[in-house]
Amino acid sequence: MVTFIVRRLIATIFLLIVVSMITFAIFFLIPRLAGQTTYQLATQYVGRNPTPAAILDIETKLGLNEPIYVQYGRFLKALVFGEHYTSGTGSTYCPPPCFGYSFKTQQPVWPQMVSDMPVTISLAIGAAILWLVGGVTIGVISALKRGTIFDRFSMGIALAGVSLPIFFTGLISLELFSYKWPIFPNVTFVPFTQNPALWARNLVLPWVTLAFLYAALYARLTRAGMLETMSEDYIRTARAKGLQERTVIVKHGLRAALTPIITIFGMDLGALLGGAILTETTFSLHGLGLFTVLAVQNQDLPEILGVTMLAAFFIVIANLVVDILYAVVDPRVRH
Amino acid sequence: MKRRGFTGLAAVGAVATLALAACGGGSSSSSTGGGGGGGASGPSGFNAAVNGVVNPSNQKSTGTLSFGLSSTPDSTDPGNTYYAFMWNFTRLYTMPLMTYTSAPGPAGSNVVPDLATAPGTVSDNGLTWTYHIKPNVKFEDGTTVTSSDVKYAVERTFDRTLFPLGPAYFTFLLGGNAAKYPGPFKDRKKNLMGLTAVDTPNPTTIVFHLAKPFADFNYVAAIPQTAPVPPKKDTGANYQLHPMSTGPYKFQSYQLNKQLTMVPNTFWNPATDPQAKQLVSKVTVTMNMNANDIDNRILAGDLDVDMAGTGVQAAARAKILSSNTLKQSSDNPISGFLWFAYLNTVVPPMNNVHCRMAVEYAANKVNLQTAYGGPYAGGAIASTVAPPNVVGYKKFDYYEATTKPQGDPAKAKEQLKECGHPNGFNIGVSYRSDRPKEVAAATALQQALSQVGIKTTLHGYPAGTYYANFAGVPKYNHQHDIGISFGGWAPDWPDGYGFFYYISDGAAISPAGNTNISELNDPTVNSLLTKFAATNDATARNAYTSQIDQQVMKQAAILPAVYAKSLIYRAPNITNVYVQRYYGMYNYAVLGLKS
Repeated sequence: MVTFIVRRLIATIFLLIVVSMITFAIFFLIPRLAGQTTYQLATQYVGRNPTPAAILDIETKLGLNEPIYVQYGRFLKALVFGEHYTSGTGSTYCPPPCFGYSFKTQQPVWPQMVSDMPVTISLAIGAAILWLVGGVTIGVISALKRGTIFDRFSMGIALAGVSLPIFFTGLISLELFSYKWPIFPNVTFVPFTQNPALWARNLVLPWVTLAFLYAALYARLTRAGMLETMSEDYIRTARAKGLQERTVIVKHGLRAALTPIITIFGMDLGALLGGAILTETTFSLHGLGLFTVLAVQNQDLPEILGVTMLAAFFIVIANLVVDILYAVVDPRVRH
Repeated sequence: MKRRGFTGLAAVGAVATLALAACGGGSSSSSTGGGGGGGASGPSGFNAAVNGVVNPSNQKSTGTLSFGLSSTPDSTDPGNTYYAFMWNFTRLYTMPLMTYTSAPGPAGSNVVPDLATAPGTVSDNGLTWTYHIKPNVKFEDGTTVTSSDVKYAVERTFDRTLFPLGPAYFTFLLGGNAAKYPGPFKDRKKNLMGLTAVDTPNPTTIVFHLAKPFADFNYVAAIPQTAPVPPKKDTGANYQLHPMSTGPYKFQSYQLNKQLTMVPNTFWNPATDPQAKQLVSKVTVTMNMNANDIDNRILAGDLDVDMAGTGVQAAARAKILSSNTLKQSSDNPISGFLWFAYLNTVVPPMNNVHCRMAVEYAANKVNLQTAYGGPYAGGAIASTVAPPNVVGYKKFDYYEATTKPQGDPAKAKEQLKECGHPNGFNIGVSYRSDRPKEVAAATALQQALSQVGIKTTLHGYPAGTYYANFAGVPKYNHQHDIGISFGGWAPDWPDGYGFFYYISDGAAISPAGNTNISELNDPTVNSLLTKFAATNDATARNAYTSQIDQQVMKQAAILPAVYAKSLIYRAPNITNVYVQRYYGMYNYAVLGLKS
């Protein structure tokens, strides 16, 4: 198992390097190939009516006029060893993993992402627990009570959950429970360490909204998996051997049906940790998702690069965890 | 001045609404919010805060005045900001040499002393401007502000690598070594006082030596860049995290682009800063909020002010306009912004003035107005380049924008004959593809021009790179035959020079980031702007405004669409509320809260 993990970690590093190269190429190389000059690129980071000298100064300061491989090399070096950036009166140290220096805010990118992480992690983990527990439970019950009113009703709700976009359900929930009946007023992020009760209260609406979408998907997946599994021969064998129905369902049925759920859960959670863009935007939560939106809006290349790398990291790590969990859940993998 | 997205421009009542405001609101006070204590008097109703002070009060509150912002400031460093709402907001923590009168109505466009004791005195040759600063103004740490702190504040703006976002007027207005001065971070000589164009003969006097006469210099002195910065406290790029306050509030904490909290500056003296007030115990700004969320929270009473000041979004607009109660708590001012299309004077066949005039006549102004949001949400149909709140504005209408707002195809065809294209011509149109209103405007213009045979090809570009890479690059327009480019404009200061220089002076044409996209290089316009800059008498100077406006329109270099308006919801809980005409939004420097 240790060899397996080490091998996957090494592969992860190579994968991240490839991701960084592709991202770097998309934002630094392709515009040049399309005819954009570095002078034009620098113009985006100067105020209105800039003088040519000011644009040239910015071009030099940001290193945009250097060859692409030099810029990429500097990026990798900062990532591994950190970097010092001048703030005019002194220098600001950006410790590794330093993702560069924002063209717009003139601040290192990494500390900004770190300060946004608690929001996204709080949102993603809380919602993930809700949708996993809720979705799987509903899916199992629906499968076992196939064709009943509960099954039809829950699957109808699930269909609505999958169909309705978050910015719709989010706005509805805000309108009803924050503005009209202020049960959850003033939804703003309060750090857990500062006030756990307020942290939870202010995240209830985003959690539920986000979980509603995913729970619906998980309920349908679980139901389909359970229906298939429960019709397998080994389930009939287990029942024939006189095992309790609960044991048959949980130990033999659900366990087998969980394998695809774990796969998709890892992917979903990893992607969400990289930023729940719609939920954060709808609820005005300043996490990595909103950070991404702003980075793109501002054409702030170091920020875009940083958040892409971080999102890729989360997804790769989540996949690694999924692979390990596979071995736990499915004995066939261990062998 | 750069203004953030106008996506939420809202319901308007054109001239009629102003009249309604006057009826509903009464005249109210004409000064800084007047009232003595309780906030019991003052006008109320729709548009009441356009020309009067709503809830006038000097009563202090222990509450928190909370702002919401759907974007981020370009910077909270007074030396590095160009957004209109930030120039308004910085008055809460800075005192530039000059500022704008804190008052509703036309007085709000008057420039008056702030840190200075009086407006600058200009030498006979127009090249030297002298200001005396108030001797007892203090920074938040109790140290006294000196003229050297003002000089240093100006000097640091010369470092465009650290402070690229603010205006660059000092760079080209000042004489001495200004053209090559790199700023105090790179030039450490003379105890950081290396800019030879600014003298500080004593701690309360500062003298600016200009390269050429510039009569509008008092307006330049009102830009936040003249707010004093103590050299020892300057942290360069990090100064934005905690600028040293001279205003009524100081930074308590600032999580960059997320949350700003300010508390009263105990060293602030109201006697030295009559244009601002210190009425609440805390001011907060929550940034990057969902724009609809901001509207709903203000309506629900959870938030006090939308800091961007550009009006509510469509959903809230519908809610407000359909409820008489809510409508009575809203205002619909002219924002000072003009939406328009540049008509290129270089790209053939638009280089022929008659071809441009054909576009002016053919354009259906009603459809353009509808595209921008309609008479209530977009603005009033414009017949001039300068909006009515520019000092020296005079109404005229050369192309029947208000008399035949649907367009005049007959006259357009006459102009087409004059320009040698009786059956029309082909031309490219650029616009910002991520701005729905501009997309609609481009489509509306395309439809109107096709009625007279002018075939247009639409080119949409991202707003973020529109000026840097496309419309603002003359060479690009020439290569792609783009002769019409949509845009918007608000002046850095509210007179004719402030409005017209960058969009119509030949000297303002630049290879990238260009704002004179028409590439107008008309000797008459250039000469009038030069005279404007050299005329010290304000009355004579402002007389040039309409002359320039008329000449630009005679050249048909700009197709005006609408004088933008915005529907702003006035939270009932806030006091001293009025629209500062210069900013086109509420004056943030004087707001308070009901107890």
